[in-house]
Amino acid sequence: MPVLHGNRAFLVILFTVLAALPLVANRYLLFVANLVMLYIILALGLNLLVGFAGQLAFANAAMYGIGAYGAGLLQVKVGLPYWIAAPGGALLAMGIGTLLALPALRLSGVYLALATLAFAQATQWVLLHWQAVTFGAGGFPVPQPDFGVLHLSPDHGVYYVTWIVTVGLLVLAWRVMRSRIGRAFVAMRDSEVAAQALGIDVTLYKAMAFAISGFYAGAAGALYCSVLAFVAPESFDLFQMILQKAMIVVGGLGSLVGSVLGAALLVSLLQVIREFKATQEIVFGALLLGFVLFQPRGLVDLLKRRLRGWEEPLHGP
Amino acid sequence: MLSYLVATGITTGALYALVALGIVIVYKATEVVNLAHGELFMMGGFLAYTGHVMFRLPYLLSLVLAVAGTFVIGLLTDRVAYRPLMKEGLVSVLLATIGVSFILKGIARYLWGGKGDYLAFPPLVSPEPVRIGAIMVMSQQLVVLGAALALMAVFFVFFRATRAGKWMQATASNPKAATLVGLRIGRIYMYTFAVGAAVAGAAAVLMAPLTLLYPDIGFVLFVKGFASAVLGGLTSIPGAILGGLLVGLLEQFAAGFIHTSFQDVSAFIVIMVVLIFRPTGILGARGLRKI
Repeated sequence: MPVLHGNRAFLVILFTVLAALPLVANRYLLFVANLVMLYIILALGLNLLVGFAGQLAFANAAMYGIGAYGAGLLQVKVGLPYWIAAPGGALLAMGIGTLLALPALRLSGVYLALATLAFAQATQWVLLHWQAVTFGAGGFPVPQPDFGVLHLSPDHGVYYVTWIVTVGLLVLAWRVMRSRIGRAFVAMRDSEVAAQALGIDVTLYKAMAFAISGFYAGAAGALYCSVLAFVAPESFDLFQMILQKAMIVVGGLGSLVGSVLGAALLVSLLQVIREFKATQEIVFGALLLGFVLFQPRGLVDLLKRRLRGWEEPLHGP
Repeated sequence: MLSYLVATGITTGALYALVALGIVIVYKATEVVNLAHGELFMMGGFLAYTGHVMFRLPYLLSLVLAVAGTFVIGLLTDRVAYRPLMKEGLVSVLLATIGVSFILKGIARYLWGGKGDYLAFPPLVSPEPVRIGAIMVMSQQLVVLGAALALMAVFFVFFRATRAGKWMQATASNPKAATLVGLRIGRIYMYTFAVGAAVAGAAAVLMAPLTLLYPDIGFVLFVKGFASAVLGGLTSIPGAILGGLLVGLLEQFAAGFIHTSFQDVSAFIVIMVVLIFRPTGILGARGLRKI
């Protein structure tokens, strides 16, 4: 068995600590740890799309919302059990995410960024105004799944579901990025024309990038609705967008461990300054700007240079 | 009803046209959409508020203050977000301008957001409506419309007739050739950002008496301005003005004939539909895809 060091040790230690946390932590700490894992999923999905496949899209917060609303409404309005509604929400986000790839096939750069931004804002408008279905601005409560069979409280049960899904999605992202698909994404990001010349079906892989990213955001949304037991539209606003963008930039564009690192650090930071909206905006704006300017490859690049055994191949800019 | 919608649509449309004008000026020269453009607008509004309401300066002086202030913020945006990153690529520049936009929004929330969040700017002229034919128009709207048209004319002349305007056009159409004939394009980019920002500042001062000021207004206006710019083709100044008026009218019609809530979403729909079906807009050049 290979000795654990560097990036692998970091991941193993982090997820071991997260697994053991319910034994010692109070409810608040458990909630924060839950959020950390949700944002790990979100950052992974966004990084696959932006960092690896090079598609600067802004619809991740909307996909997150669609996953949460999908999972919540399938339970509340349709009456499906959680175990069907949650994957349903994730798949709904994946489907809509794939549809978003349609404009992406024609658009790039600024145009793609703004078309997806407009889509994200239009989604929020629908959540706010389609009151017959979405309950409008006030949001709605969602029942937590029952873990009585396993002798777990709902809080702990939801927590372990989140843990399992997060680890599963991290491993999946790892496998996908080391496969033909991941290499195609990186080739497409570096030069679409060169990728086409190498026989990569750009249409297919762009659609795939949007689908995978939508699925990740949707899965995070479906988990979010069970963690909070409540869904409201303001959770999926512009600030979400900058928060998730800052996570992947601070952690490292094109790095899976970077997504984990960025999510964990920024969620913790958000808890420290959660009282003050203005401070949050300035701090996260400055983090995004500062890293783009001075450390564009993110924290992972620093760690890779300083720590022995940090051997993730980096696809950063 | 119809005449009222048209009058309001044209007035708000003229403002959207001004926001779009700033976006187009920057995009033409740099091929970057400054995502902090709405926040520059918001800062302009608050600077004018500070001058006019808090320090009781005359309106025109606060206009100058707001334009100068946003001009400086525009210079800084170029310095921190565009100049160091233009070689890194579009993604970096866009992410940096998002960073700038949130920093500005946070600063505005600190300085001006604490007082009930929505600040009212006093009207410039008497609130009596004016009758033109069968249409009743707020006199305030007429002032705004006139000033917006004047600003557009100024920029039209600036780009056609002044040396600085021609330098900007030359840099926009071919940066390498512009460098070869001795233009310092770095400096021109800087002034382009600043001029784009100053337009936002001027538009904000014109608009402030018609709406309320709040820290989140920037994004709202940015979306409408961008919808106008993209409808007009993103590289065309007449296109931006036409686009602004169309978006203004469309929004009023959506609000009047469908439901008031559709006023907010129509700009998003315009952006998506135009970008998907006709990315070159109405008056945009038929662009070749760059490799």
